[in-house]
Amino acid sequence: MADINISYGEDISGHVPEGDPATAWERRRDDYKLVSPLNRRKFKVIVVGTGLAGAGCAAALGELGYNVSSYTFHDSSRRAHSVAAQGGINSARARKVDNDSIHRFVKDTVKGGDFRGREADAFRLAEESVRVIDHMNGIGAPFAREYGGELTTRSFGGVQVSRTYYTRGQTGQQLQVSAHRALQRQVAAGTVNLHTHEEMLDLIVKDGRAVGIVTRNLRTGKISAETAHAVVLATGGYGNVFHKSTLAKNSNCTAAWRAHRRGAYFASPAYIQFHPTALPISSKFQSKTTLMSESLRNDGRIWVPLTAGDTRAANDIPENERDYYLERKYPAFANLTPRDIASRAAREQIEAGHGVGPLKNSVYLDFRDAKERLGVKVLDERYGNLFEMYRDATGEDPHEVPMRIAPGAHFAMGGLWTDYDQMSNIPGLFVGGEAGWAYHGANRLGANSLLSACVDGWFTLPYSVPHYLAEHLGEAPVDVADDVVVQTLADVQERIDRLMNIRGTVPTDHFHARLGEILYEGCGVSRNDSKLRRAIEEIRELRDEFYRELFVPGTGEQFNQELERAGRVEDYLELAELMCVDALDRKESAGAHFREEFQTDDGEAQRNDEEWCFVSAWEMGPDYSHIRHAEPLTFEAIELQTRNYK
Amino acid sequence: MSTTSVRAGTRTPQKQIGPRWLSNVLAKYIMAFTGIVFGVFVLVHMFGNLKVYLGPEHFNDYALWLRTLLEPLLPYEGFLWLFRLFLLACLAGHVYCAWVISARAKARRGKFARKGLHGFSSFTARTMPVTGIVLLLFIIFHLLDLTAGIGVATENFQHGSEAGSFAYQNLIASFSRPAVAIFYLLAMVILFLHLAHGLYATVNDFGITLGQKARSTVMLLSGLFALVVMLGNITIPIAVLTGLVS
Amino acid sequence: MRLTIEVWRQENPDVPGFFEEHAIEGAQEEMSLLELIDYLNDHLVSEGREPIAYDSDCREGICGTCGITVNDQPHGPVPNTPSCRQHLRSFKDGQKLRLEPLRSAAFPVIRDLVVDRSAMDRVIQAGGFVAVDAGTAADADSMQIGHGRAEKALDFAACIGCGACIAACPNGAANLFAGSVLNHLSTLPQGKPERSKRARSIIQEIDESFGPCSVYGECAVTCPAGIPLSAIAAVNRERARAALRRGKDD
Repeated sequence: MADINISYGEDISGHVPEGDPATAWERRRDDYKLVSPLNRRKFKVIVVGTGLAGAGCAAALGELGYNVSSYTFHDSSRRAHSVAAQGGINSARARKVDNDSIHRFVKDTVKGGDFRGREADAFRLAEESVRVIDHMNGIGAPFAREYGGELTTRSFGGVQVSRTYYTRGQTGQQLQVSAHRALQRQVAAGTVNLHTHEEMLDLIVKDGRAVGIVTRNLRTGKISAETAHAVVLATGGYGNVFHKSTLAKNSNCTAAWRAHRRGAYFASPAYIQFHPTALPISSKFQSKTTLMSESLRNDGRIWVPLTAGDTRAANDIPENERDYYLERKYPAFANLTPRDIASRAAREQIEAGHGVGPLKNSVYLDFRDAKERLGVKVLDERYGNLFEMYRDATGEDPHEVPMRIAPGAHFAMGGLWTDYDQMSNIPGLFVGGEAGWAYHGANRLGANSLLSACVDGWFTLPYSVPHYLAEHLGEAPVDVADDVVVQTLADVQERIDRLMNIRGTVPTDHFHARLGEILYEGCGVSRNDSKLRRAIEEIRELRDEFYRELFVPGTGEQFNQELERAGRVEDYLELAELMCVDALDRKESAGAHFREEFQTDDGEAQRNDEEWCFVSAWEMGPDYSHIRHAEPLTFEAIELQTRNYK
Repeated sequence: MSTTSVRAGTRTPQKQIGPRWLSNVLAKYIMAFTGIVFGVFVLVHMFGNLKVYLGPEHFNDYALWLRTLLEPLLPYEGFLWLFRLFLLACLAGHVYCAWVISARAKARRGKFARKGLHGFSSFTARTMPVTGIVLLLFIIFHLLDLTAGIGVATENFQHGSEAGSFAYQNLIASFSRPAVAIFYLLAMVILFLHLAHGLYATVNDFGITLGQKARSTVMLLSGLFALVVMLGNITIPIAVLTGLVS
Repeated sequence: MRLTIEVWRQENPDVPGFFEEHAIEGAQEEMSLLELIDYLNDHLVSEGREPIAYDSDCREGICGTCGITVNDQPHGPVPNTPSCRQHLRSFKDGQKLRLEPLRSAAFPVIRDLVVDRSAMDRVIQAGGFVAVDAGTAADADSMQIGHGRAEKALDFAACIGCGACIAACPNGAANLFAGSVLNHLSTLPQGKPERSKRARSIIQEIDESFGPCSVYGECAVTCPAGIPLSAIAAVNRERARAALRRGKDD
């Protein structure tokens, strides 16, 4: 068995203001230092990533007058993967009389995350969510409206009120494009210097502070460095480590991982959300799994044939031979149970032989009853583009036959560890959006990811980054000729040369695909000690093979997509091990992290608040050893309780 | 240290085609306005032409009437010349803008021309410059043949005067030449193609945003309009050739 | 399936490109166009050759990153569908596919099938935004927007910025793209205060890089987001409206 080297470091603090978490954000903001308008342009801030969090943060800092340098590896700031979120964005505006409130929002978020997130973070998320809708609407996002002209909402998994704002099935796109435009406005105004096709490959740390980044120009291969007063990483989640995920093909963990290698703690890497409504894998050439919005679960009913191995067509199976297992097991939330529960329930059905489709790897999501109740017109208004997308991918019409869905790797709750100010343990390094770990605990509620990215970008970092900057008034950014910059540049060059010089025979994607298989098997919807140990061993073997057999064609001094991928997969091979180590280390089940050894008699996740009520923040030790720090979690407003969606 | 471009890429300097003040939108407005003028003109012209079926007297009287229109407010042929100047200005504007637009289109598309276009609308759109040039040549031919009476006109072309017009005789004489009749006939088909797209595009150029249905209706109406003009005019050379009118 | 691929290869923007032919065995109908290139690239890299560079990201048709011209059709043979959602079932066994980058003088080739579409971002920089700073927006519920109006705005806001409309246009015009921006923002009350200003600057910008519109309608046939053709008329409408409101921003 694999020799796993875990040691334990000291506890860390999230720097949450003392006292009532409900008022923590207001009090914290009052404490923040300010930078006067005339001094702002003297500060340079690097923002990496132009998704909802990154574009929002860069635009907001630009609007305030800071000198912002924004980076994206895409050709345009509009492409970031925030664009693909379909369902909606939550907000605790509580305008309806369905008895929603800030408190309820926090409760849903904290409870949905199975009490493994920071309570005060969730309060900030709820409080700022009100302004997020105003702002995104203000900059042009055409939210769906009632006939009376007011904003309309829908309900989402894990929630009993209706607080999800949306624009058809393309909410992420509308928010992302609005943020992209706000950013372009600042580019035109000259406050933001936007670098496209430029991928961050390292963080420059001097005297323990983040002082800049090293990037590679994807068009020319040129490696360069830029220094600044602070660095913000908003580079997205690492779900693509599973290869077949709902993420975009280019989504990666490289920026975050390289920061981790430079000393930034990585929190809760084992918390990966499997989206219950992804399209099943149907051929080996399939490059990814496609996401179908969870909002489909509002009107669709999930079921499998009562008899295992039933081969009849869906519509030939009579009502009394269908098992609407979510409605049966969780009557209160039924088809709207949180994602982790829905995914695990589907996995169970599939493993018990009730799976449907040619590979028996999916469950039905049926709109027959909704069609009768609402009619085709209403159904199409709500889900038209999703239906079309499904038809397109599968050749089947969801109006006529039930959709087939399966759990797919989707969202990373884990990420770089940050304190309440969204600053990592490296002073000057801030993190926003999915690249960080905040808000979602061990499981994210649907429609909370767009929100957390917006809150970080528009309404948290613009307060907390200046607080850090204010301490450094009068200091110039580190000189690019400084030893530390030169050394970091050399390190990056060495990494690239190393990959180019392996000169084996195997293309990068083969390693990535195999890594995905290992992770789905060992660190997937449910985990156990022996599966995790085996996975770690396989990952290490794969890593050795990678450094022996990899082939990257071309050179490093050109547009070279194979090289880009190789660098990302190299990081995945390290991250994957840490994910398994974290999963192995955490001897409880919590949210999306389901350890088979820790479950109740009726098969539900069993948390262990006595021993595990903390966030694991991992530090990289020498030679693939792992040092775990813990940030203890306390819950004052929301009482610790067992999640019950029955 | 900055790495790449500040603004989204650098704009490759483009060669300015036509004056700067003539924006693409303005050029299209000019083309649309003058296009409408020509559209109405060819329709009225066609109705006038059809008087040929009422016999020489009616036809020649109509021709004379055009010359004496608004007399004595205007001198003989006064209105006609004002109208000709107006049409000439429209033609100049139309042709110049067409050249500017074609040249800009070509430059901005680059060296790889688009192939594999869809449908009738794209066909007529693509052939606008060609049909336009043919029509321009046709107009010159037509003016020489039946207005100026020089060059391509028949030998026994008779100029009209205040006393009377010989438009009918000139027309019959010209169309009795089969090659000329066929040229007129083909020119009308070309006119159809040009008008069908031109009128349809006009609605768009004037900035009238239409839904799918209304757009199809406009396309149909433009086609019908062009068809009526074409068919009305085409009957005449055919009638002359077949001896129906002589 | 057996397919022949004729693909555009171009080392960098400064050298001429050429077509390279590959015979592909074992392709399957359910593969997407991009998965076919992945499949081919896998073979090429395994043989020690350089793969075909092409752009793609979400593979769900929403990010607008992909775009390949297939047998003269930007994005591929199925209308209103992005390259990532074009499947091989549209092709016959033994067919030849000619793959080219999106073509337009405004889109210089970076490598093989990858083009530079930054000219489109310049259009947004010119005025494709609402000038409202973070935190200053009014209450979204205080702004009444009818259901139909919001839906109409979304019809135009749905643009994914892929640039296929420009490549589909024989004139290299960007009127569908610019029109979608203008129509989206002019339909909503948020976009009204700077409506004329925006029209002037955006339309001036598209004249700089893109061609004039001749109402071919090819853009709307190609557009994977289904932007209605009326967007192109909106360009002329907004410009004329701005001309009549000389000196005013709204």
